Amino acid sequence: MSITRRNFLQRMGAAGIVSLGAAPPRFLRQAAYAAAIEGKASNGRILVMIQLAGGNDGLNTVIPYGDPEYRRARPGIGIGEGSVLRIDDYLGLHPQMEGLKQLYDDGVLGIVQGVGYPNPDRSHFRSMDIWQSARPESERTEVGWLGRCLDLNVERHAGTVPAIALGTDQVPLSLVSSKFNVPTLRDISDYELRLGPGSQADRQARRGLMSQLATGESVPGSNLDYLRRTQAGALAMSDRLKAVAAIYRPTTDYPQNELARRLKSVVQLIAGELGTRIFFLSLGGFDTHAQQAAAHRALLTEFSSAVAAFHRDLKGHGLQDRVLLVSFSEFGRRVQENGSLGTDHGAASQMFVVSPTGKGGLFGAHPSLTDLSQGDLKYHTDFRSVYATILDNWLGVTSQTVLGGKFPTIDFV
Amino acid sequence: MTRGAHGNDPLRPYDSGTMGWTRREATHLLWRTQFGASKADIDNALAAGLERAVERLVTSQPESQSFQRSDHLLRQVAEDTGNILDLKAWWINRMLHSANPLVERMSLFWHSHFATSDVKVRSVRHMAAQNDLIRGEALGSFSALLSGMARDVAMLIWLDGNANRKRHANENFAREVMELFALDVGHYSERDISEAARAFTGWHVRNDRFWFNRRQHDFGQKTVLGRTGDLDGEDVIALCLAQPACPRFLARKLLHAFVTIVPREEDVGALASSIRRHDFHMAPVLRQLLLSQLFFSPSARHALIKSPTDFVLGAYRSTKSSENLRQTARVLARLGQDLFAPPTVKGWEGGRLWISSSSLLQRTNFVADLVADHVVPINSEPKRPERLVQYYIDLLLSGRADETASDRLVQYVEEGARKPGARTRGLLHLIMTMPEYQLM
Repeated sequence: MSITRRNFLQRMGAAGIVSLGAAPPRFLRQAAYAAAIEGKASNGRILVMIQLAGGNDGLNTVIPYGDPEYRRARPGIGIGEGSVLRIDDYLGLHPQMEGLKQLYDDGVLGIVQGVGYPNPDRSHFRSMDIWQSARPESERTEVGWLGRCLDLNVERHAGTVPAIALGTDQVPLSLVSSKFNVPTLRDISDYELRLGPGSQADRQARRGLMSQLATGESVPGSNLDYLRRTQAGALAMSDRLKAVAAIYRPTTDYPQNELARRLKSVVQLIAGELGTRIFFLSLGGFDTHAQQAAAHRALLTEFSSAVAAFHRDLKGHGLQDRVLLVSFSEFGRRVQENGSLGTDHGAASQMFVVSPTGKGGLFGAHPSLTDLSQGDLKYHTDFRSVYATILDNWLGVTSQTVLGGKFPTIDFV
Repeated sequence: MTRGAHGNDPLRPYDSGTMGWTRREATHLLWRTQFGASKADIDNALAAGLERAVERLVTSQPESQSFQRSDHLLRQVAEDTGNILDLKAWWINRMLHSANPLVERMSLFWHSHFATSDVKVRSVRHMAAQNDLIRGEALGSFSALLSGMARDVAMLIWLDGNANRKRHANENFAREVMELFALDVGHYSERDISEAARAFTGWHVRNDRFWFNRRQHDFGQKTVLGRTGDLDGEDVIALCLAQPACPRFLARKLLHAFVTIVPREEDVGALASSIRRHDFHMAPVLRQLLLSQLFFSPSARHALIKSPTDFVLGAYRSTKSSENLRQTARVLARLGQDLFAPPTVKGWEGGRLWISSSSLLQRTNFVADLVADHVVPINSEPKRPERLVQYYIDLLLSGRADETASDRLVQYVEEGARKPGARTRGLLHLIMTMPEYQLM
């Protein structure tokens, strides 16, 4: 048994067992048994993925201000040497990203540059599907890369809530699994079950019946089967989250924005030892075709300030060594700004990581601004290398199985 | 048409004489063509027979005086306040009370297809105008609708029409026309997109109106989908409609909405032929579909997961609840279907994506709130526990509950000294939170 597996089972012991509906009781018993014999220490590793939806303009995020080509391509929306947060003589962060700059200076923020994939697709949906399925060659993408990761370890995850999407309307493709219904939470209070009026006895009777009525014989894989499993999982989650919400207190001030609110919920769920290993969050609005400056500034402020507060709170709870945070976007944007002070869909861009092992810094060179492919930056690092690093070096899952190929890992964790 | 070909045609008429036209078939038809079905709705459809029930749906029915009054008033309120929540309320009232429910259903279908969000457009007036355009062609011509959309102010704002200029073509609209409105991924090239974008240059908005800005239109030669010439936007639309992929794309979407999320290829082909044969006019296509063997086939029954509008408005209709329209709009948003604000340009994908443990819990809580306020029509319901349970299983689940479940419900009704009203409320709560109730 690998270290990671043992740790995870230990964490499950601490988390208590949450029923996932139709998960076979045999797994539950095994997992509980394994957790019991392996002790109670809790140091399970956690992954937080943040999607910057719409295609983040990477060039105005990590800015090659020292490059004359940058100034030439961005006469209207370029950000100059005077205002960037300098990383070196060539690169600087967007002026609103003070929070992330601090993490960079502290040596925990990694910037993986020039990330992309072969034959980049400029459709939001197709490209997002490619990133989330990690299968650029496949037309039909029904299971996500993290979903496959869960599917490979059914026994390990049975009886837990292995992954949660926060603040998304739908389960993001990354987390779509053929075995688990990954829950989406808008807010922890979303999981408060209401039973309406009635005497205490009547309410209790109905609550019990609801669980019973959510079970029964149904064709595996059918809609009814899916609905029953989801309903049973929802009722169990509701019970568990009620308990978790009572324990957590933040150790820092969070900025007033949506992403911060959600990241705060993530700390709450981690601190409550829910046993969840993967969290997925999304920040939308990066599709800046026109009048980009103000919108992009607001988005990067939200992203940077929220991630910084999240890291402070993790530290306050002594959890920073257990959490790897990674951001991605479906594509960067075209080098040349368009005629409406915005940018159109592009290709390669950067990914941010907040390293739990203090391995920050720049990874890979900034792509050339002159050697372009149809006006877009060329990638030199396949995004699946970042995924392989997450899988092999952090989640303890063999990346080759999940990604269907071997990709070199990067030293950010 | 030969006998053999007819026999294999998935769109051949359903023979209600030999195959049956019972409450179950009537319920099946109504849940998919309006928003839920009351007992009276089902009784009426049953008496009318299949053909007349379908004919009423696909032809224009006169609206009542009281509906016209409330519709006019709510629309006026929305335009006066400029608050999108009021426009949502106006539409929900139409969905609930219009005499032409299929028009509203198809309007919602096209709203998701041409997904435009007020989050960016920020104008009740423009969103309302787009909704009127959609409603006008909801059962009409798809080609007229597509042309109208290319000049629709809300759409032009949504997809950055004004940024599409001669020297700086903006691909946003052209891409969505091909990817999401007419063809689907895989039926065009990147080159088709950039050339089509040039054809739409200068299709701008000025003074809140569509404006063909000649100075910003690229009159040069373009090649789109294999045709070369001085093409403009109208040509691009015609070229898209002529592609075999176009009726197939629409057919697949209609099957997802009306029949099953996993249609067979031959069903897609048959419906695509019908769309082509009827020159993209929706009423005859829908008439044929709703009267077909395919529509009533066993694999289509209870095969769809209710959307939030189906779930919420259907629950009102089944329980004859009076609704707070603005509050309903908020509930729909929480359940994942915020009217006039679809999540992306891809609209609502629906199916299982409606259901997560979170949204399911929200649906469950909605039922708890609804039932709490519910005034039970005690006089019309049976008294004996078995009968009472069967009555509601028939009405709410179209009879679809296994024996164990109905035994449990009977036991619930028998136990505990509850007053009849509280007893029925508890029973409704339990049935409407059953996984079976999520299906239609």
